[in-house]
Amino acid sequence: MKYIKEHIMFIFPMLAILLGIESSMVFDRMSRDYEKDLKADYSMLVLANTPMKLSGFQQLDRRISSMSRIEKRTIVQEMAQGMSGISAEDIMQALPHFYTIHFGRYLDVQEIDKIKHALVASEGIEKVETFGKSHNSSYHLFIFIKVVLWTFVGFMTFTSLFLVIKQMEIWQFSHRERMQVMEIFGASTMLRSGILFKRAMIDALIATVLTSGLFAFLRFVWIKQSHIDLLMQKEALLFAYEDIAILGGIAMSIVITSVIIVVIGSKERKL
Amino acid sequence: MANIISASHLTLGYGNNDADIIKNANFKIKKGDFVFITGPSGSGKSTLLRSFYGQLRPKSGNLLVGAQDMGKISKKKLQELRTHFGIIFQDYKLINEWSVAKNVVLPLVIAGYNADVQETQAKRLLKHVKLSEHADRLPLELSGGEQQRIGVARALAKNPTLILADEPTGNLDEYSSNVIWDLMENANEQLDATVVVVTHRIPNIFSIPYRHLIIENKGIYEVH
Ligand SMILES: Nc1ncnc2c1ncn2[C@@H]1O[C@H](COP(=O)(O)OP(=O)(O)O)[C@@H](O)[C@H]1O
Ligand SMILES: [Mg+2]
Repeated sequence: MKYIKEHIMFIFPMLAILLGIESSMVFDRMSRDYEKDLKADYSMLVLANTPMKLSGFQQLDRRISSMSRIEKRTIVQEMAQGMSGISAEDIMQALPHFYTIHFGRYLDVQEIDKIKHALVASEGIEKVETFGKSHNSSYHLFIFIKVVLWTFVGFMTFTSLFLVIKQMEIWQFSHRERMQVMEIFGASTMLRSGILFKRAMIDALIATVLTSGLFAFLRFVWIKQSHIDLLMQKEALLFAYEDIAILGGIAMSIVITSVIIVVIGSKERKL
Repeated sequence: MANIISASHLTLGYGNNDADIIKNANFKIKKGDFVFITGPSGSGKSTLLRSFYGQLRPKSGNLLVGAQDMGKISKKKLQELRTHFGIIFQDYKLINEWSVAKNVVLPLVIAGYNADVQETQAKRLLKHVKLSEHADRLPLELSGGEQQRIGVARALAKNPTLILADEPTGNLDEYSSNVIWDLMENANEQLDATVVVVTHRIPNIFSIPYRHLIIENKGIYEVH
């Protein structure tokens, strides 16, 4: 019973850290995915007096990744039919060239404004229209949630780290005699703390398996009956196999750090 | 023969503001010596031994153990030095979660010997201290005298250059005490170990030559 309690006291804070980190990773993946969708949707309309090439646009701003010319001939021909004495060619001459441009990544409002100004300021470009501003408020909400989540996770990690170290100190205390005897006989720090290490490693492994297991369950089982459409299309975001490695790595570093803090921090007591 | 311990103007004490326990002591212990250290209770016998194995640094003066200046020795060097010692405590200081056999080979575990070597050496050592049949038991299942024999076997495990014993028979009956003294004599004679034993009483029957240092009024003197 005491044995189980001691392990739980170590596994719980460890779980808190790993669950927090995994949640942040999932949220990060979701917001990146969302950015990608936004980026794909986003374009600017440019009216130019002179014909433009992609390289010409890119000279104005390197974030521009592609462009397409809007074909105006059909419209112009229809216009010409309704007007006597003016040929389609004349209208073609009078009208500017229309382009839509796309970007390599998601841009926020400030960036869009900057690009717009840079484009308008250049010779030959008459007007720039931007769309898609409606996306922006939900994007900012995303960023806000991300900051809040990371702050929360950071705080929880910090607090849990204290609990992990406290528990490690309790273990060390219960093995103090043994470790001191070993020290008297010339055992290295590494050898003396081996027992702490082994215990902590086992618990770190358990915490990693539990966390990965939970998120894998969410992805492979729970999601299918969740009826949350938004998630059902993006189930892969909920869990990735490399998460196991990342969580395991983090758990191991926590164990190593706390062993070092506890063992190095303790001085030799006189027997 | 070369000195294994050499003290000049050695002063020992715990806090810088506390009274000195040993003051301005001068003595030498040569390789191969068998030395008894006696003195009243609280005179600083255990304190002196602690300075030998580096748990207490000299407050002032000089203490050389092996070739090491114990006032300046690094953690790493101290660790290495200790692997050449065999230390025996009045209260045994066995690892109670470990079997008798594993306790006995602790110095070999620390030196990184493999399990096979550990096993054969455990057998040899336990036979030497006549505890072969208890190899798989836990220390607390044995009597005080038996536990101290484990302590002695552990101290002898890696053929130590220097054996330091703090009242090794303090809590033991006469029979067990005699067994312990035999083992110590044997270590000194057969294994060439230098032996320093703190005791409140030198045994009546002792068959090998020995020296006797006494702690009195913070000083250390040779008794002839
Ligand atoms: N860890 C310690 N911290 C402070 N004082 C100590 C400590 N250990 C022993 N002393 C003091 O040092 C003196 C000598 O103790 P000790 O060396 O144990 O004597 P002995 O072994 O001769 O009986 C005593 O007055 C004791 O109170
Ligand atoms: Mg004492």
